[in-house]
Amino acid sequence: MTSSTTTAPAPDHAPTPPPAGAGQRARAGAASALRVGGLILSVFAVGVVYEILSGGSFFGLDNLLGILRATSTVAILGLGFLLVLIVGEIDLSFGNLYGLSASLMAVSWILWDWPVWVAIPFTFLVAAGWGAFNAFFTTVAKIPSFIATLGSSTLILGFTLLITNSNSYNPAYPPGPHVIDAGQLSAFTAISNEPLPFNFPMQGVWLIAAALIFWFLLSRSIFGFRLIAIGGNPAAARLARIPVRKYKFVAFITCSVMACFAALLDFSFIGSTQPNAGQTLLFPTFAAVIIGGASLSGGRGTVIGTVTGALLLAVLVNGIAILAAGPFVQQMVVGSVTIGAVVLDQLTQRRRATS
Amino acid sequence: MSASGFAAGRGVEIRGLRKVYGDTIALDELDLWARPGEILGVVGPNGAGKSTMVKILAGEEPATAGEIEVDGQPWSTQFGTERVAIVHQEAQLFPNLSVADNIVIGREGRRILRRRTTAAERAVMADLAISDVANEQLQNVPLATQQRTEIARALVRDAFVFLFDEPNSALTADESADLFRRMHALADAGHVVILVSHRLAEIVAHCARVAVLRDGRCRRIIEGEDLTQEVVAKELVVGHEATTGGAAARDVKDAVALELVDWTHTRRAFSEVDLQVRSGETVAIVGVEGSGARELVRSIAGFEPARGRMTVFGSAGGPDESTGYVAADRTQSLFGNLTIGDNLVVRLRREITGFAGSLRRDRMLAKAREARDTYQIKARGLGAAVASLSGGNQQKLAIAAAMTERPGILVLEEPTRGVDVGSKRDIYLHMQRYAEDGHAVVIFCTEITEVFEAAGRVHVMSDGRISAPLQVNHTDVESLAADVTRLERHHVRGSRAASASATT
Repeated sequence: MTSSTTTAPAPDHAPTPPPAGAGQRARAGAASALRVGGLILSVFAVGVVYEILSGGSFFGLDNLLGILRATSTVAILGLGFLLVLIVGEIDLSFGNLYGLSASLMAVSWILWDWPVWVAIPFTFLVAAGWGAFNAFFTTVAKIPSFIATLGSSTLILGFTLLITNSNSYNPAYPPGPHVIDAGQLSAFTAISNEPLPFNFPMQGVWLIAAALIFWFLLSRSIFGFRLIAIGGNPAAARLARIPVRKYKFVAFITCSVMACFAALLDFSFIGSTQPNAGQTLLFPTFAAVIIGGASLSGGRGTVIGTVTGALLLAVLVNGIAILAAGPFVQQMVVGSVTIGAVVLDQLTQRRRATS
Repeated sequence: MSASGFAAGRGVEIRGLRKVYGDTIALDELDLWARPGEILGVVGPNGAGKSTMVKILAGEEPATAGEIEVDGQPWSTQFGTERVAIVHQEAQLFPNLSVADNIVIGREGRRILRRRTTAAERAVMADLAISDVANEQLQNVPLATQQRTEIARALVRDAFVFLFDEPNSALTADESADLFRRMHALADAGHVVILVSHRLAEIVAHCARVAVLRDGRCRRIIEGEDLTQEVVAKELVVGHEATTGGAAARDVKDAVALELVDWTHTRRAFSEVDLQVRSGETVAIVGVEGSGARELVRSIAGFEPARGRMTVFGSAGGPDESTGYVAADRTQSLFGNLTIGDNLVVRLRREITGFAGSLRRDRMLAKAREARDTYQIKARGLGAAVASLSGGNQQKLAIAAAMTERPGILVLEEPTRGVDVGSKRDIYLHMQRYAEDGHAVVIFCTEITEVFEAAGRVHVMSDGRISAPLQVNHTDVESLAADVTRLERHHVRGSRAASASATT
């Protein structure tokens, strides 16, 4: 009977009520534009600081394009992870799935002598299957996704070490009796190394393509609309007959497929695989998505935010590399920035809630 | 008990108690006197202020104005937290601790090591028949035992006031009877005992006096000869002004939209329910918590598991897109992260998509505008946050979102719970129009006034059984209340109410 007390109406002091319709999503739009604007500003500010500290080696074209390339792995992983976060779940396995994907591609291509155009789709299928596996334990077996994917992450790492025998593989130097077809190798290498005008990195092109697709999915399709609704209130979504489970499956599978895609691009670019390469990507990706404004409790997050979040991290890391401060400092910086971003977010959320 | 020293006292006197939340008045000059040695019944429709009163007495919420005296001394928050005990339907204890630890915890004083129960505590436990389960984890003992643990915990803390808030909704008949014996024992020992309940039969059977609360005031104290179910039921609705004038009562001869035959809940909250709802009519299912009414209504929408035969628009099978549902609780119907406009169209699919699942923002906007205007949602703008709406407009939004999908059968749970009078009128009007458009509307109600306003027919649920239908063609709500009460009583005969009606 005190349900009448649930929501005190917000005090009515909006300066001028936006005209009906034009006001549609004005609020949410303003909040996210503010964040992205702030992020881009921070990217520039950090860039200027590095430019000064390093005596002018930051704003060179080569360095900027290098940053774009460095952004792409985390951003592509982040786009997949973003869907899982928005739907209100979490995935801790995409890092190790990235490692498995690269290794499985290498092993099936090099050791099992499969043609690369079979090895790649096969690996994507395995990755998608792993996403479905995560979704199954989360939505059908109803294990919290935190635990389900933490377990599956370790499972994946073990499996990767098993099939690779913890070795690195480079198709340019196949072990033992195995031979790699030169045509296949050059086609594979071209995926991330195709020369473009101005040395524009191929991975940057893939990132832009992926970002456009994800932007359409999240902001311009019924899929994104419902995904965001589910993340905002899963109980209400179920009662409104939105197929919650199906959407969660799609989110987990997409996250895994994107991990596989990022692995493919990096494998093609670097030319070799490392079974545990994904472990160091988990946190930066997590950080990029959170810095980009996604909510850990679901229902909130944007593509542009995720990409700029990844960009900010890449800039920070790049600067630290220019200053030769070392990987330990880099970790400290990434950790601090992530906490700072979340604190800032909490503060602005609270202010918006009380205003 | 040490509380017997207060037996000569005056008990709890509440004078002019006010509580305001935002623009909602929960309590408006409430006067009430609860004497030691008797069970005081408190009844009232939802939103009457019963829970608010309970929370204030227990020191959980501060009052806005007014005074409370206990045995002539001013009440204090400390008194509320230390010597007022609330017994809910579900015990508010530590489920992971043993029964004995639940009684001991918080009373260790300055001890560091855990201590065993004292002789006094063991005596209280023996008295409440929980000694045998002292070492069981609380979550592993039956609800009734958990409630007795709660009483024991309060007794060893020397509680003076016992507030029972709908305590037996989930208890069996035997467990309820035992709980009432405990209540009488507490009263006899000189405690102040207040029972808040919707179950009129029990209220009438066990209480010496019954206070009827409405709109945050005590409208009447019923005692002695007058204390019958009919009088209480009428008093609950008297003075209610019809807003739509019961216009929903029409003779509907349209096709059968929904038919249930031998419909039985898998966990037996209801069984063997037969029900027919025609397009164009509004059918209310009434029942207290635990009667199975809520579960029945949810099962119609497919959100509670049930067996039997369900026919929806002539074809057998489960509920699907043709059945829309709105929960009573707005936290289960609104999306706080979406704008008001998006909330209105979130259930739509084909109407708002174009090529390859792309959203047609123009159509979304048009639909949202249309819905806002049709359902009179007073919003700053469609782009505003849901939280910026008043409670009444939030509820209108929730129902409008379901109606926008135009389901053939619309299932609403307590459609106007916690809603102001103006919004109630709007909601009843929209429900009526929706039914008149040839849809079937099923509502779960706990208030007779709502049945009077919104429904053409009503069924009463008690103990999982459904009554015969009653046409709502009454000219005033009092006579409807009397009829519904009669229907329920007649229908329940022989089951749980046996113990209660024996004393009436």
